[in-house]
Amino acid sequence: MFGYIIPAKCELKVKDYDRFRAAYCGLCHSLKRHYGPIARFVLNFDFTFLAILLSYDAETIPTDKKRCIAHPFRKRTCCNGGKPFRRAAGYSLILTRWRLRDAIADSGFLKSLFYRLLARFLGRAYRKATHDFPDFDTHCRTQLECLRILEAQNSGDLDRVADAFAQILPHAAEGVTNETERRIFAELLYHIGRWIYIIDAYDDLEQDKQTGNYNSLAARFNTTDGKLPDEDKDWLQTTLTHSANRTASAYNLLPSGLWSPILENIIYLSIPSVTESVFNGRFRRRLGRWERKETL
Amino acid sequence: MSDPYKVLGVSPSASEDDVKKAYRELARKYHPDNYHDNPLSDLAQEKMKEINEAYDAILRMRNGGSAGGGSTGGASGGSYGSGKYAQIRMAIQTGNLAQAEQMLNATRVTDRGAEWHFLMGSLCYRKGWLDQARQHIQQAANMDPMNREYQAAAQQMNSGGFAYRGGFGDGGQRGCVDPCDCCTALLCLNCMCR
Repeated sequence: MFGYIIPAKCELKVKDYDRFRAAYCGLCHSLKRHYGPIARFVLNFDFTFLAILLSYDAETIPTDKKRCIAHPFRKRTCCNGGKPFRRAAGYSLILTRWRLRDAIADSGFLKSLFYRLLARFLGRAYRKATHDFPDFDTHCRTQLECLRILEAQNSGDLDRVADAFAQILPHAAEGVTNETERRIFAELLYHIGRWIYIIDAYDDLEQDKQTGNYNSLAARFNTTDGKLPDEDKDWLQTTLTHSANRTASAYNLLPSGLWSPILENIIYLSIPSVTESVFNGRFRRRLGRWERKETL
Repeated sequence: MSDPYKVLGVSPSASEDDVKKAYRELARKYHPDNYHDNPLSDLAQEKMKEINEAYDAILRMRNGGSAGGGSTGGASGGSYGSGKYAQIRMAIQTGNLAQAEQMLNATRVTDRGAEWHFLMGSLCYRKGWLDQARQHIQQAANMDPMNREYQAAAQQMNSGGFAYRGGFGDGGQRGCVDPCDCCTALLCLNCMCR
């Protein structure tokens, strides 16, 4: 969906890289199994991370060898993740659906037609996901509604705008039964969400300037031609670092498990380095490489 | 109490040095500096207590005598100001954010001094509203440059906070004095003298 939550591949052990790919394939299969083949279009790295995070206490990682449309000839190892993967699949459908609705409202005629068609295609899968997770659906809708209102007001209150979005993710931990761990997840996911929202806004700054769309950073800071002055850039980077640190501190309180190496790679290493590369404009290219690799 | 070796993540046959190393690593991980004003600070404190007890237990088992545990360096409560602000401070610390926010907003704009900004900043920090938190805390530090609490908080906000990141990258542990750093510094000094 956003694609900022990816592991730092070069720092992963080969077995962990394979495991991450198995999780990615596993989420894809979960989407298909529970919500039909079309649901596979919403597959993304962010929710793969969520699936892994929600499996933090898994005692085993069962895998299967499966073929799929993307890999019809050679069977791929895919993680049979059970409930957490099903949750991540459902949540990603719900969030995609509501973001599509926003995209339809924001785009021009042709583009909105395309989004409408996509929403139409995903209709059945989405309804099934709503049926499975009605609370998440309501919550998601309310928060995105809140975000829309703030956007319409051209709000320069960065924290409030980011908060509207960041409040969505903590709800993804509704299935965690342990009260303490739910608290940890709430803090962790809040700051991940805040980080995603702000880094995305920064990444889109120039594009939004051209299209005239709302951008929370353009409203908060004084920008010239979609660029932030260095002083504000530093300020923003510090606030992102701070959110990354709060995420890491929260993560450290969770018990460690089989998925820890990948989670640590993402939380300790990748988030700070993605921040860095978005700020010096190298991120898009890097992401492109990942995606090409995955579709091979 | 659970198995102290399990708590520290070492095997019962581990050498004393390994136990010490594991203990140090965990103490860095859950150090109160990483959780200052954090909504999860109580959980970090519990963890800290747990590993301190485990370490003490292991030392006792091995030495047969009592041993001094690690220092927790508990978080200081900060100075308590006048009545209303003390109440707000209390509300923030106990996690009653709605009440604190209401009381802060009820303060007349003309009465909003350094302490008001500091508390507003702390409240924002707790909520995760880090942009505003930094603005308010900086404002407090500017209004009362002699107050050490405000200055320390402003410094933390400007640096982006701390978090333990294991062996990865710069975890932001710059504030701590590492024994290794100390040794390296001495070594360098030694070389220079020659």
